[in-house]
Amino acid sequence: MHHTQQTSHDTPRRPSVLHIFKIYYPDLFGGTLTVIRDICASLKDAFASAVLVCSQSAEKRQIVVNDVPVERVRSFGNLLSLPAAPTYPWRLWRKIAEHDLLALHAPFPLADLVFAFGFGRKRPLVVHWHADIVTHAGLRWFIEPLMRRTLRQAKAIIVSDHVLVDNTPLLREFEDKCHVVPFGIDTSGYDWPKIEAHHVNDRGRLVLACGRLVPYKGFDVLIRAAAAHDFELWIIGEGVERPRLAQLIEELGLSERVRLLGSVNDCERIKLMCLADVFVMPSLTNAETFGLVQLEAMAAGRPVVNTALDTAVPRVARHGLEAITVPPGDAGKLGEAIDTLIRDPERRRQMGFAARTRALSRYSATAFRQGMETVYRDAVTAPSEQRTMNVEPPPATAWFDSIRIAATLAWSDMRHRYVRSLLGPFWMSLQMAIVVAVLGSVIGQMSNADVLSRLPMLALSMTAWTFLNSVVLDATTALQNSASLIRDRALPPVIFLLQCTFRQALFALHNACVPLLLWLVLSPHDFSHGLAALPGLLLFVVCTFALSLVLGAMATRYRDLKPIIESTLMLAFLASPVIWSSDMISHRSTVMRLNPLTHLFAVWREPLTGSPIDPVSIAYVLVALALLIGASLLTLVHLRKAAFWI
Amino acid sequence: MVSISLRNVCLDYPLYGAYDYSLKRRLLGRLIREPAEMRIIRAVDDVTIEAETGARIGLAGPNGSGKSTLLRLIAGVYPPSSGGIAIQGNVVPLLGLNAGVNLDFVAEDNIALLLRISGRKPTRTMIDEIWAFTELETRMQRLPLRMFSSGMLMRVLFATATAFPADILLLDEWLSVVDEHFAEKAEERLLNLVSQAAIVIIASHDQPLLRRICTSVINLDHGRIASIVTVEPPATHAFQLREQRA
Repeated sequence: MHHTQQTSHDTPRRPSVLHIFKIYYPDLFGGTLTVIRDICASLKDAFASAVLVCSQSAEKRQIVVNDVPVERVRSFGNLLSLPAAPTYPWRLWRKIAEHDLLALHAPFPLADLVFAFGFGRKRPLVVHWHADIVTHAGLRWFIEPLMRRTLRQAKAIIVSDHVLVDNTPLLREFEDKCHVVPFGIDTSGYDWPKIEAHHVNDRGRLVLACGRLVPYKGFDVLIRAAAAHDFELWIIGEGVERPRLAQLIEELGLSERVRLLGSVNDCERIKLMCLADVFVMPSLTNAETFGLVQLEAMAAGRPVVNTALDTAVPRVARHGLEAITVPPGDAGKLGEAIDTLIRDPERRRQMGFAARTRALSRYSATAFRQGMETVYRDAVTAPSEQRTMNVEPPPATAWFDSIRIAATLAWSDMRHRYVRSLLGPFWMSLQMAIVVAVLGSVIGQMSNADVLSRLPMLALSMTAWTFLNSVVLDATTALQNSASLIRDRALPPVIFLLQCTFRQALFALHNACVPLLLWLVLSPHDFSHGLAALPGLLLFVVCTFALSLVLGAMATRYRDLKPIIESTLMLAFLASPVIWSSDMISHRSTVMRLNPLTHLFAVWREPLTGSPIDPVSIAYVLVALALLIGASLLTLVHLRKAAFWI
Repeated sequence: MVSISLRNVCLDYPLYGAYDYSLKRRLLGRLIREPAEMRIIRAVDDVTIEAETGARIGLAGPNGSGKSTLLRLIAGVYPPSSGGIAIQGNVVPLLGLNAGVNLDFVAEDNIALLLRISGRKPTRTMIDEIWAFTELETRMQRLPLRMFSSGMLMRVLFATATAFPADILLLDEWLSVVDEHFAEKAEERLLNLVSQAAIVIIASHDQPLLRRICTSVINLDHGRIASIVTVEPPATHAFQLREQRA
């Protein structure tokens, strides 16, 4: 086709736009997809579009749809309305760099996740707000912060009607960024067949509905409404609800009059719209924000029956003018409204005419194209908000510097102890020796086991516990105590959290002389076990640091967390086998098994005693570590703001 | 190539009240749908500064006009709310003198620690040179800083902070802290330091000082740039004299 030649004489390079959504043609047909396709098509002279979506089909990853390259990331089904595509965030991150503008079609939390971690910050982002999250509203508390971060990063937010901004609290926070660009429709395709009185179906009772067969579209309500009245109902669309709807039709005995047509191509759909007498959009929830299909029906000159949602739906086709609006989910009222129109050809004709006029004048494709182009252009040309570059020069050396300064500070902290007393940190070791002696004798009273052989392990466990406990507790106040270095010398806050781990590690080395002495005196000397315990011990230290990083930052932001952290740590300690060894209690309690501390100790204590590690413990610790690392990365992003908190 | 470029930089400074530090309060507030209003002041408002090698910029303005905040923004302490910051060269912020000081340590250990914090490996000669500048007795090097008078402490800290040149030097009002005799010597050292740095930004109430040192003075008011005054160079005269002597 002639587009291929066009590329050769493209004068300046067109900026490229990456459309980010969960699904695209040919896997599905639907309103949002039509919008994306129309944007790609209508802006093709000004922008080079590309699409990144998920797909469950195992076919080609790279396809071309209407001259637009589409990359489809493999998805393994749907989880809570989201494609389970583990590699999507990674692909998105890779693709971000290749494009000049990112267009996210929200809601799509999988992409929010990428933006929440701060990726793609250097590229201008435009969010198309198609709908709020309605279906799985229970997940809001988790998704909303992510969406807020995305919106904060966005240069512009595009909505189809201003009512969405008014009714969505999240959007109201960003009202100044919102641009209203009503969807437009190219009405030229709808001129066939001519809209004339005699073309209206002679039987005068064909009702059409169109949409994905998903619960919020409310087709079950429509089918129930059909049962009470005498009209023919055709439903265009495909989706997960199909078996249920088919069963419902069967049960109500409507197989004669109600048909599920499945997916239908554009040309066919327009023909059907021109054939129908009434178009119905029975949507139930605010997930339906605009209803592009009702606009198509209007362009075809059909009267509409829609529902009174808090979105643009009843504002595109207005009650009494182009539509009859009924309460959502009310089969009785819906049936009556359809019946009213079926029985009154003159009203149908008037409404249909009004509808077509409105579609032509108010929702023209030209206005839509111009609106989109303006927003996109402004987003691309707006000065990009480059973040401070001085915070992250060559990152490797910066990290190394941070670690070195943290080590210096930790070393000086330790020397400080020696300044105050000759014994320095050994005072604490002495104290710990006493604790171990007392505990050992108490345990000896409680169980008949050989106390002396347990003492080295008890002392070592206490050393490790003291390390973990003090690192976390120190971290909760570390940033406040170093406020002047952070604010006046611009040292990165993470240094002072690292300092806690280093300092307590030095103290732990002092304390370790207690278990070491006990071991030398009381146990047979076997070094191989010690070597086997090293990987576990490393995991323990890394987990401790990650935990202190996360909790330290949070406790600085929220001061009331410190006592909670203190008491939780104490509880975790008591409910873990730190002072007991696992075989002292014949079967471990559930609490003890669920306690992460149990496993964090098990991964190095078991090899030290020569027994194999329980795989559950390893899995438990690795999962905890993965979570902690994720949380740490998020914390590191937030730590940029630490200077505000102290 | 050393440069600072701030383009339309804004900083919204969140003012945390006692309740804003409480997670419980915040969660409760969300439950009972109490709007969590966070007070925010615009501490830096649409500031654009371009500085190349050789720039000496003075920041003037009344208390709370955003001088220190702007310096901290350049130092990277606060992330900007909007706008762009691009900095080339290593930034040495000297905003508070007593950051990182441990009063229990003896003076020389403190000097060594401060040097390490600013990324240098202290040597005996370095410490001796710094000490020579303080004009304090050598045996005091072995005394804990706790025993120093505040004036003596300031000498030590000043000498340490100004011991090494930097690409970009950010200075906040702290010449006034030293006693009169030392002030003269301190200013000379400061001028020397300033002359070695590629870019200097100095915040001060002391207009004559700014006029002596700076090539341009930016007057701030409520975080905005109220006016920029270019200073005609009597200041360079002093530099030339020193260069000839050296």
